[in-house]
Amino acid sequence: MRPLMLQGHERAITQIRYNREGDLLFTVAKDATPNVWYTINGERLGTYDGHRGTVWSVDVNWDSTKVLTGAADLSCKLWDCETGKVINTWDTKSSVRSSNFSYCGNMINFTTDRQMKHEPKICIYDIREPSDSEPALSFVIDTKEMSKPMCSLWGALNEYLITGHDDGTMAHWDLKVGGELLHSVREHTALIKDMQLSSDQMMLITASKDKTAKLFDAPSLNLMKTYKTDRPVNSAAISPIRDHVVLGGGQEAMDVTTSNLKEGKFDARFFHLVFEEEFGRVKGHFGPINSLAFHPNGNSYSSGGEDGFVRVHQFDESYFDFQFEC
Amino acid sequence: ADAADAAKSSWADQVEEEETVNGDLPPLSQSVVGDIKTVVEYKYNEDDKKVKVVRKYRIETQKTSKSVAHRKLLKKFGKSSNDLSGPNRATTIISEDVQMQFVSTREEEMMQEQEDPTLSKFKHQLQYYMFFKNFKATAPKDKTTEEERKPEEENASNAPSKYVPPSMRSGGNTVGSSMPSGRGNRDEQATIRVTNLSEETKESDLQELFKPFGPLQRIYLAKDKHTQQSKGFAFINFYNRDDAAKAIKSVCGFGYDHLILNVEWAKPSTPS
Repeated sequence: MRPLMLQGHERAITQIRYNREGDLLFTVAKDATPNVWYTINGERLGTYDGHRGTVWSVDVNWDSTKVLTGAADLSCKLWDCETGKVINTWDTKSSVRSSNFSYCGNMINFTTDRQMKHEPKICIYDIREPSDSEPALSFVIDTKEMSKPMCSLWGALNEYLITGHDDGTMAHWDLKVGGELLHSVREHTALIKDMQLSSDQMMLITASKDKTAKLFDAPSLNLMKTYKTDRPVNSAAISPIRDHVVLGGGQEAMDVTTSNLKEGKFDARFFHLVFEEEFGRVKGHFGPINSLAFHPNGNSYSSGGEDGFVRVHQFDESYFDFQFEC
Repeated sequence: ADAADAAKSSWADQVEEEETVNGDLPPLSQSVVGDIKTVVEYKYNEDDKKVKVVRKYRIETQKTSKSVAHRKLLKKFGKSSNDLSGPNRATTIISEDVQMQFVSTREEEMMQEQEDPTLSKFKHQLQYYMFFKNFKATAPKDKTTEEERKPEEENASNAPSKYVPPSMRSGGNTVGSSMPSGRGNRDEQATIRVTNLSEETKESDLQELFKPFGPLQRIYLAKDKHTQQSKGFAFINFYNRDDAAKAIKSVCGFGYDHLILNVEWAKPSTPS
């Protein structure tokens, strides 16, 4: 395969996300400009200009009309996907770490960091309401009891929110009653960098700095599978068509200069979903992979790295011919 | 651009033709003939000479849903608002060919453990047996018998079938002493060149053919850009130079797809 290299960012990629049909790829980085690309030929459709700091997260709603970004410039912005104009800006007290549309696209959530004596906060807005209205729900996480959330996801039917935390804890928050902690599990021993749902939203995969990725049952947070590697995992995704997961990571950027290039281990690693065994690797990045995503049709995947490049890989026949031997 | 170049160009492989042109800089022009779009740009190069840059793209038509088709026709915005239709070369690059490396964790684990010498010997023989069983029918007779004798000789000195780090090799230098390639140039690339391949050959065929000799690092099959057919030669990188040597000895002169393969080192690196 000959990957497309998308070179729209000046700094490390923080998150990439496909839209529902997979024709667009949204990328955000530690520079202030989110990008959107056509996945078919790697052409850049546009940039969303307006942030003034690292953009940590991006999401797009199901009909690809709106884009949500959360940034370290103390704001979360809602954009018109097709023109790049800002629809709404929510100002926060600390930087926005994760932001998501609900499945229906009517609600958004974002989580903020613990910074400048502000406790982390989870906010939920109904974007059908006027832009200056109060949040539909917001609650503060007491850091004496729980560490700050690093990533978040909407649970089934918008009934609960799933968060992954700095200390490896995962939690369910009830959204019907108002921000009550339903239950939490601590299967990871270090920071959870990324969580992604399977295409049917029944499973979720976590990527953690404790060098593992884990597969959970999304409604119960029961641990199902563990994928072990020898390096911190920054992102993990579940294939929508095959029993495969892909893990991306690598040693931390600050450690890269102190070790051999060959030991950098920046390749994307493919594991079998059920047997937890690695079967394939794809090289290419010069730095750790920070974010990975499968195309919704499962025929390609993309990775964004600390090196600032996004690589769009179209699987070739050998991947589809491959049969896992057990 | 002449006709030959026009036939080869595709949107993925931008043909750049630079030639000096007299007169002022004409504006950038685009023309579409059939499914080939031609972009002609005039600019000054480093030596202050006017150059004409001709780029050719192949236009592909795909059927998609209405919403996707609608989005494909959107006007570009933000920092891309001045881009023309089609990928901008400043932001979109087609990178080098990469292949998924299929690995087995179990194999790695076994590699780390010290292998039982008799077991590895047996495995080695089995690999040879399987390989020649498949090709005996087509291979020239005298070649086959000669090759069958060879592995036995090598097995007598207990050559490992998989890559074993030098520090873990039992017997050190004696292992490869029967090989024509010197042990001294282990650092050199274990790359072999295969020529006289048929046009229908695929990378997977080559993988099948050379896998029995040892783990492959990379297979490069030269293909026509336009037709995707093999150009008749390929480079195979082994992890292990000994494996490559074995492959050369065994596959050179081999009948494959009605042609007789020619296999040699990619560079004339071994003097002997």
